[in-house]
Amino acid sequence: MNDLLSWFTGQKWTPQDFQKECWTAYSEGKNGMLHAPTGSGKTYALWGGILQEILKNKQTPKGLQALWITPLRALAVEIQQATQRMTTDLCPGLKVDLRTGDSTQNERTRQKRSPSFGLITTPESLHVLISNKEHQRYFENVQVVVVDEWHELLGSKRGVQIELALAYLRSFLPNLRIWGISATLGNKTLARQILLGNTKKYTTITAQIQKEIKVISIVPKNMERFPWRGHLGIHLLPQVLKLIQKNKTTLVFTNTRAQCEIWFHKLLEANPNLAGSIAMHHGSIDKKIRLWVEEALRKEELKVVVCTSSLDLGVDFSPVESCIQIGSPKGVGRFIQRAGRSGHRPNTPSTIYFLPTHAMELIEAVALQEGIKQQKIEDRIPYLNTYDVLLQFLMTLAIGSGFYPDALFPIVKKTFCYQTLDQEKWQWLLNFLIKGSQSLEHYDEYKKVSVLANGLLQVTHKGIAMRHRLSMGTIVSDADLKVRYQKGGYLGTIEEWFVSKLKPGDVFTFSGRNLELIRLQHMEVVVKKSKAKQAKVPAWMGGRMSFSAHLSDLLKSTLQNPAHENSPEFKALAPVFTQQQKESIVPKPHEFLIERFHTKEGCHTVFYPFEGYAIHEAMASLMAYRISLLSPISFTMSYNDYGFELLSDQAFDSTRFMDNDLFTIQYVLEDLEKSINLSEMARRRFRDIAVISGLVFQGFPNKPIKTKHLQSGSQLFYDVFKDYEPDNLLYHQSLEETFDHGMERGRLLEVFESIQKQTIVWKECTQPTPFSFPLITDRIRSKLSSERVEDRIKKMYLQLDKTNR
Amino acid sequence: MKEIVLCQQHFLLHPSGGIFWKETQTWLLADVHLGKVAHFRKHGIAVPRKAEGAFYQKMEGLLKEYPSNRILFLGDLFHSYQNNEWFLFEAWVKQQKAELILIQGNHDIIPAQKFTLLGLTVLDSLEEAGFFFTHYPTEKESCFVFCGHLHPGIKLMGNGQQRLTLPCFYRTPKQLILPAFGSFTGLHLLSPKREDQVYALTENAVVEIERKN
Repeated sequence: MNDLLSWFTGQKWTPQDFQKECWTAYSEGKNGMLHAPTGSGKTYALWGGILQEILKNKQTPKGLQALWITPLRALAVEIQQATQRMTTDLCPGLKVDLRTGDSTQNERTRQKRSPSFGLITTPESLHVLISNKEHQRYFENVQVVVVDEWHELLGSKRGVQIELALAYLRSFLPNLRIWGISATLGNKTLARQILLGNTKKYTTITAQIQKEIKVISIVPKNMERFPWRGHLGIHLLPQVLKLIQKNKTTLVFTNTRAQCEIWFHKLLEANPNLAGSIAMHHGSIDKKIRLWVEEALRKEELKVVVCTSSLDLGVDFSPVESCIQIGSPKGVGRFIQRAGRSGHRPNTPSTIYFLPTHAMELIEAVALQEGIKQQKIEDRIPYLNTYDVLLQFLMTLAIGSGFYPDALFPIVKKTFCYQTLDQEKWQWLLNFLIKGSQSLEHYDEYKKVSVLANGLLQVTHKGIAMRHRLSMGTIVSDADLKVRYQKGGYLGTIEEWFVSKLKPGDVFTFSGRNLELIRLQHMEVVVKKSKAKQAKVPAWMGGRMSFSAHLSDLLKSTLQNPAHENSPEFKALAPVFTQQQKESIVPKPHEFLIERFHTKEGCHTVFYPFEGYAIHEAMASLMAYRISLLSPISFTMSYNDYGFELLSDQAFDSTRFMDNDLFTIQYVLEDLEKSINLSEMARRRFRDIAVISGLVFQGFPNKPIKTKHLQSGSQLFYDVFKDYEPDNLLYHQSLEETFDHGMERGRLLEVFESIQKQTIVWKECTQPTPFSFPLITDRIRSKLSSERVEDRIKKMYLQLDKTNR
Repeated sequence: MKEIVLCQQHFLLHPSGGIFWKETQTWLLADVHLGKVAHFRKHGIAVPRKAEGAFYQKMEGLLKEYPSNRILFLGDLFHSYQNNEWFLFEAWVKQQKAELILIQGNHDIIPAQKFTLLGLTVLDSLEEAGFFFTHYPTEKESCFVFCGHLHPGIKLMGNGQQRLTLPCFYRTPKQLILPAFGSFTGLHLLSPKREDQVYALTENAVVEIERKN
């Protein structure tokens, strides 16, 4: 302890209580969970404990002893530097290595031959290490695994990857200690149980750091011109520029990469003097550029960085003075995290400006402030029975040392995710890998995993092993293509479907530049700079986040709480409310509002439950299904965080709707399941599943390997499973996931229960209301129909070639 | 089913994706992609085998409905290199009374000899009665062209932001492109020009698409 303390004194730091608690608990051989916010010194809390033990033992440790897992590559770099610094000072001679997808082949080989004391890595790279034949020897000295930012991993399939890896490591390292580091979250106990397993030897440590967070809404001066919809918020550009001028360094958080590109452009356009001191940071930008941005931020060389969630985590940027959030952050937890990026020094308040992109988001601003006051942090919902991740893991073992099914089954069952897995399903998964089906058929040449004479399951085919190595990892995106200048120099990656819509000569915005497409070759997009003013902005899929339950509760109570009427946000909203009340109402707590109006697009019926995107997605599909049972009708649905819209070519009758008690809580789950099948919401889920389980092989950007005649989209797989193998577990998983993750079953029932107590107010309107505007202008829609295809076709027409219209 | 008349000859567009030429009792089928499922399975990708068997069932139904003298495959009969699917195909060929002709497509990399040994006729294209049969879409002086290759699909729009995507027979003034007959084949969406005509496939019908002017 003395060495640690004097090291801290040398840095002119005083150890905080939670750090000392961690050191003690670690020295007692405990497992543990540390709840501490980013930038609080959590890395030294654990690494200090690890080094202290080395100092006490007075022996030079052998091989790899400490494994540190982080969700982001950028974070891994940061942690490697911090831990190496402490190690060099306290235990000279010991090294900490970095192993991520970016590591070179040379580094990997060196690490394999002579492992260093510590290794900082990501969940994917950990699995790659497990796929080595000699992995048990490589890991044999490991004392501890630290999982950093566990709250980020927990609600994702990467969290399941961690669960599997830990259960597996424990099977041959019985004394392995596991530590998690997590920001605060709603379901702390569950988070701990999932990571540490059911050990009794654990401790939970919470850093008592209360940070003051100031939220200031950027309220437009003139509400008349404030848009009713939209997601960009560009109209508030002047105010943002003023804030940037006022502060030394500002982070501008956007929700999507497209939004990020646009804001970067507009800021630079409005104030060309920013050139050189403005930068952009998002997940598709090349690693080198991202690292440069992070470094420049630290050195205070930048005035403003426009970013996405890629800068949410870890990395400490003390110079950041203020943060601006463009549009809804969709959750209190995320908002606090982002606010915490500024004023990192102790005792300085964090300031975050909230910029609403449309009128309704102003209400959200008030709700968020309330949420922070009450510290309403969301739960993270863990995945259950994700067969795709398990299949991938089994393949990972099979391409390396192989595995014995009977020995592995109990290990897998120890994880939270697969605790209910039974023999029958396990056998199904094994059959899927060995035979590609559940029964043996003539003429079948299926080849993937072989059963050796001693019962070991192993991959013997080199090509199959190679393809698995290249596609390991659970974060799925559309095939990513590298963007590169003709003369060389990578800019980042872009999704294939966007590029597929471009012709050579087209100009698009990427990485803050306007680029002209020259050609597409070998998974590379070759471009040159363009002087064109107009450019297309790539839209990236994914990243559509839903309101958390807490935020939707807050939103409802905010909207209906008279105490807020004097807030600047509500004053600014007054004209919108007046307009809303002219045509319709602002619903009171006991009222459930439904609006009906006609436009040339068709008949709109808009429902306002105020329950968040995910719930509305489910409700829309469910209500559409129930209405479609009354008579044949086709709907397209849109949903946002306030409500959902059912659009149809013909109107359904409001009296019949009310009379038939379509909001009944009976059969909610059954009806929902039927509606999911009909509306094919699971299709979207299946995309990930197909890639993770190895059905769809995406290739690798810089390693074009021969996959002739093996290209196929996940959609096609979805169709053949649906038609020819409806009992396929992966197909079922896509239905299940739509339920649990997209929708949160339990919450849905609560919502239907509370509707029972409300009065339904059906308003016939002559024109769209302000509340309905963001919904009816949304172009991303799901479909549900009870009409015969032939009948539908008769009412439809062809989309003619544009040049021929 | 939809009947169209071209050069006084009668053609039935069938919901299965095939065309029956009445006068010559000929079935026209494009892009069957046999062996695709087996090819995927051989490389460790578990596509249900039943998806492949669909071809033989579909053929049985078609030949019962319209017995024929001749079956003309407009290219891409097999998806890739020879695999065990070949034995099933061989067995099927032996049961056929009709003449079998394969017009070669880009996927047909199995040597032509293998087909001729089974008794199929292998051609690059075929000209007959003012019609030209080929795999690739093309234009031919004084001939009407039947072809495949594209796996044509069509996007329909309707009021209330309705959208439907369906496979189709795609007819230009001098050419008719057949949809892919095989299961586990994708769609290529086309945007029709004013003079083009589209016949969409549903499960049980072929529907001529109306124009909105």
